[in-house]
Amino acid sequence: MSGILVSWQYRDVFLWGVANTLSLVLGCLVLSVPLGILGAIMLTEAPAPLRRLFAELVDLLRCVPFLLLAYVVYYGLPELGLRLDPWWAGLVSLTLYNTAYLVEIFRAAFLGIARDNIEAAQAFGLSRSLLYRRIILPQVAITAAPVIGNQVITTIRDSALLMIITVQELTFAANFVSANAFAPFAPFAAAVGLYLLMSLAIEAGVRRMERMRRVRYG
Amino acid sequence: MAELEPAISARGVCKDFGGFEVLRDIDLDVATGTTTCILGPSGSGKSTFLRCLNWLEEPSAGDILIQGKPIGRTGLGRDAKRMARNELAAARTSIAMVFQHFALWPHLTVLGNVAEAPVHVLGRPRHEVEAEGRAILARVGLAEKADAYPHTLSGGQKQRVAISRALAMKPKVILFDEPTSALDPEMVGEVLAVIRGLAQDGLTMVVVTHEMAFARKVADTIVFMDAGRVREVATPHDFFANPQSERTKRFIARS
Amino acid sequence: MTWPAIRTILDGALVTAALSAISILLSLPMGLLLALLRWRRIPVIEGLLAAFVTIVRATPFVTLVLFVYFVMPAIGLELDPVPAAILALTANTAAFSSEIWRAALQAFPRDQREAAIAFGMTDTKVFTRIVFPQIWRASLGPLVSEVTILLKCTPAVAVIGVVEITRAASRVGAETYEPLPPFLLATLIYTVLIAVLVRSQRVIERRLARRMGLTPL
Repeated sequence: MSGILVSWQYRDVFLWGVANTLSLVLGCLVLSVPLGILGAIMLTEAPAPLRRLFAELVDLLRCVPFLLLAYVVYYGLPELGLRLDPWWAGLVSLTLYNTAYLVEIFRAAFLGIARDNIEAAQAFGLSRSLLYRRIILPQVAITAAPVIGNQVITTIRDSALLMIITVQELTFAANFVSANAFAPFAPFAAAVGLYLLMSLAIEAGVRRMERMRRVRYG
Repeated sequence: MAELEPAISARGVCKDFGGFEVLRDIDLDVATGTTTCILGPSGSGKSTFLRCLNWLEEPSAGDILIQGKPIGRTGLGRDAKRMARNELAAARTSIAMVFQHFALWPHLTVLGNVAEAPVHVLGRPRHEVEAEGRAILARVGLAEKADAYPHTLSGGQKQRVAISRALAMKPKVILFDEPTSALDPEMVGEVLAVIRGLAQDGLTMVVVTHEMAFARKVADTIVFMDAGRVREVATPHDFFANPQSERTKRFIARS
Repeated sequence: MTWPAIRTILDGALVTAALSAISILLSLPMGLLLALLRWRRIPVIEGLLAAFVTIVRATPFVTLVLFVYFVMPAIGLELDPVPAAILALTANTAAFSSEIWRAALQAFPRDQREAAIAFGMTDTKVFTRIVFPQIWRASLGPLVSEVTILLKCTPAVAVIGVVEITRAASRVGAETYEPLPPFLLATLIYTVLIAVLVRSQRVIERRLARRMGLTPL
């Protein structure tokens, strides 16, 4: 019981942690969704040698453990003359990593669109860019939503690793409170509860979009 | 006197699914060494009845006897205790079944499918079972497919494997659940020819089918079912030449 | 980087490999057990297991590691870093892989099970002879991918002081005041290990599809 009380006294720390986790994930999404779409278009449209090289790169990036990527970005950018504080280094690494996954998700979604559907658009004389903007992307937005929802949950999970490069996100907060209050259970349980809340909210959102999709498009 | 004991008897078999009566008070005896074809319109309950014979479906009432011994329950009547699961499994080894959609096990080769139950259920030595299995496969014209996997076979070949799998159990009865309904028309013949051969050898078989011409030629007894009841039990000759009810006449005329 | 520094990181790689291997051997069967228990739909147990899986799936792995290491002593389970790391990895992968097993069990064709029952197989035989030989093959791809995810999770156990690749790399970095080279080497080791697993997964899936017509679930 006392642990819960102590945790409540540290509620500002938790709020700050949640705010940092959410701002990182949101910032990462805002950046990586357009980048992911661009990358997927490149993977579909670029000339073969370039496409293969790019595909290899994306594949390799997905093989790197996120923590290592975060370390390399955190220690590597200064060598390139770019000094970032931990939050920004976290955002850069989270975005880079997430983009690699989104490229693959969007590429798969492109492939999932019925061929005749695209051919019909071409028969009506749509340009390549109109084809993407008016035909492919709206359909992808609908079909890829659940997968992207899962990816957002994964990103939240990954963001916790940024505590190791001292980003003050939710797990950092729980660890801080647990160390300062000498009561491990409540702070970590609170963090787990908050993560659960976030992921349930995302799942509920995805389910809602799915329902809308079914009502509208069958 | 064992000859007089029917291979299978159904006594007052009823089945309802959530208040909907699919089978109503069915009595039927299948004599040893005969082929019984069950005909009837879709939804008449023929497949459900067949599945009751080996207790894949549990009858809501009534008894099933295999050579005089009850299956599913340890005695006769509604109050008799249900068999333990292992006991029921053992009882099923004397009744083999051939399914509409083959239901071959895709992770086993053709010979593996045929040998699986004799080896792992009956506990017979593998080399012996496999030798027999190869002979059976040769008989249905699939000797060279023994080591192939099911997904490489045509529908007709799959169903012949399924029949071989049933034969390998040396069962007292084989149940066929619409064995040709899932086949392309050009493959129906090869499967019916195999079943016909078995009938001539004197196996005891119960065949649910829509193939009227086949039933006429092969069956010893035709059972006509409609709306969950047995409407007519007759020899093929009587059934087709001299149907007893209006309902039967209409069914024959339509097909 | 000096040779001893590289040696330190390679020793860390051995620890990572051992941790991963032990956790995989424990967690995949445990995941199957969870899936089978949930398949039975026993009222209270089903709810508890579903809650366990949901919570683990929502919790970042590093948080889970800290939870196991710092919170378990409060309920009397004092663990050294290495067993704590194995427990956390196992819980995590068991939860995720149980979903893979569960999907495979749910997708298992009913008529095949019926055929097995009709031929007199008992429940145990149906599972060991017909269901399991197929679901492990059908799940092999997703399970290997779970292994790669586990491997990608392992750096997080550095936070509780297990000296695996990542911890070894940060040690070398702290000693030499040059953190980047050891982390680059560590990244290279992970990437090679994981890339090999990913490639082998693709080969396995193609071969199973060719031989038995089994498609990944």
